[in-house]
Amino acid sequence: MTAVLEIDEVHKWFGSHHVLDGFSLRIDQGEVVGLLGSNGCGKSTVLNIVCKLLSSDAGQVRMMGEPLSELSYRARGWVGLCTQHSALYPDLLPAENLHFFARLYGLSEKERKERVPELMHRFELENFAGTRVGQLSGGWQQRLHVAVSLIHRPKLLVLDEPTAAVDLEARMELWRLIEGLRDSGTTILLTSHHLAEAERLCSRVALMRSGKVVAEGSVPELLSRIPGQAVAKVQSENNEVIMQRALDLGWQARQRAGQLRLLLPHDLSLREVVESLEGTQVSAVSVQPVSLEDAYLELVGENASVGQGLQDV
Amino acid sequence: MHTSHLVWGQTMAVAQRLLLEQWRQKRGLIFWAVFPSTMMLLFGLVYAHNDSMRAGLDAAAAGILVGAALFFSCLGGTVAVIAAERERGTLPRLLTTPLHPAAYFLGVVMAQLLLALMQVFMLYSIALLIGVQYHGSLLLGGVVLLLSVFSYVGMGFFLGTRFARRSEEVVVALSAIGVPLLVLGGTFFPLEIMPQGMQAVAQINPMLHMNQAFKGVAAYGKGFYELRFELTFLLVFCGLSLGLGIQSYLHLLGVDKIK
Repeated sequence: MTAVLEIDEVHKWFGSHHVLDGFSLRIDQGEVVGLLGSNGCGKSTVLNIVCKLLSSDAGQVRMMGEPLSELSYRARGWVGLCTQHSALYPDLLPAENLHFFARLYGLSEKERKERVPELMHRFELENFAGTRVGQLSGGWQQRLHVAVSLIHRPKLLVLDEPTAAVDLEARMELWRLIEGLRDSGTTILLTSHHLAEAERLCSRVALMRSGKVVAEGSVPELLSRIPGQAVAKVQSENNEVIMQRALDLGWQARQRAGQLRLLLPHDLSLREVVESLEGTQVSAVSVQPVSLEDAYLELVGENASVGQGLQDV
Repeated sequence: MHTSHLVWGQTMAVAQRLLLEQWRQKRGLIFWAVFPSTMMLLFGLVYAHNDSMRAGLDAAAAGILVGAALFFSCLGGTVAVIAAERERGTLPRLLTTPLHPAAYFLGVVMAQLLLALMQVFMLYSIALLIGVQYHGSLLLGGVVLLLSVFSYVGMGFFLGTRFARRSEEVVVALSAIGVPLLVLGGTFFPLEIMPQGMQAVAQINPMLHMNQAFKGVAAYGKGFYELRFELTFLLVFCGLSLGLGIQSYLHLLGVDKIK
């Protein structure tokens, strides 16, 4: 596999704050890698370094095998960045925005005449061809933003929380479009607070804490590292009693933000769990297979401050 | 693609985008046209009403153009462009592209230059209709206007990158800085009627020398030699202003990109 991006032991300080502490990540061609972590864990710093908006203080970053620090500003054409807030020109039409950025990337007129209609079609923007961008809804603006990020056929598409600022319907639509990009072989680095987003879109996930990757792998690989096949979420007035019962049963118990989660070694039914906890003052309980959310909480550890979108746990 | 070819294409893209945006912002375009036209017509009416002042109308037209119209159009326009890029979040977006720093700077200069030319054409069309006469060399007048536009754009980059964070601040900043400079620059009153202290302060105001240079050519038909002091001052100021603007812009590239 050809590595599009290799980040090796990168460190970054902002004053005395050690933001990246030996961060390493490799992304191969055609992979969709999700970078997950709480607010302030260093995700944005990684993306800024990859986009050449920031330089690292130590370590090596290679793009297509070449050290990023030695590449000229033209190497910025290798990356396409899409942030959560669509940074577009509101008085221009969608195609005019695409043409403008295409010219900045040096696409010839012939290339632009092919590429702009292609992206307008792919992102279903044709019906809004005559509408100024400022008059589009947030979801449609974000579609255009992703299209703009792809105008120059980048080797790596960086999606920085691409659906954070759109409603549920627009989010689902964007997921469908990103799945289409993934299926056509686009290499993507994605950050998100929505674990369901990463679970659905990413071929591999890297979990970050305090400026470094603490676990990475495909979603099934990460799930296999949880000491349980299912998780019971329990509400009770007396968590101590339930935790003792769980230990007696050989289950592992985790308590975070006042909620008790029991990791079940087998895929037990709700009835079996309720029967096992009988007499422990349980007021509500639900059982579900382990998810990326459980892997995140388990692998990122006790110190992880749970961020926006992860608060559902 | 050669770097020079790429930079030229990027410069044109930036300039065309700015002009297209200006064209689409119809309300702004109307005010852009109404402000100098109204000033010219009002001054024309006042001067026509007073026989003793009629001879000064040629100088008034030159003052309105250089001292007021181009100030708000080129300096204000440049500050507004940078504030808008910041507000919309497009500035960091641009920095992730291979946009050459020189291409952005030149693109803004080109767009402002074209807008300035349109303003010169519009204002002098009205001025000629109400009887204003242009007396001097067109070439020398063009040189003064060019130096004035470059100076204003350079100052616009400096003020825009260093101070203007939001569009609303642009209006306040321009009024606070611009209007006193216009008064001290002899745009509204001749220097001679000001108190001695004000006259001394006015000497360090670059707008005074822009006004005097363009009035000298347009209203009094003066040549290069007679205006050598004003032209030298203007040339030095233009160089300083562009240097400050470029330095501030490069500083901006280093600061805003990580936000």
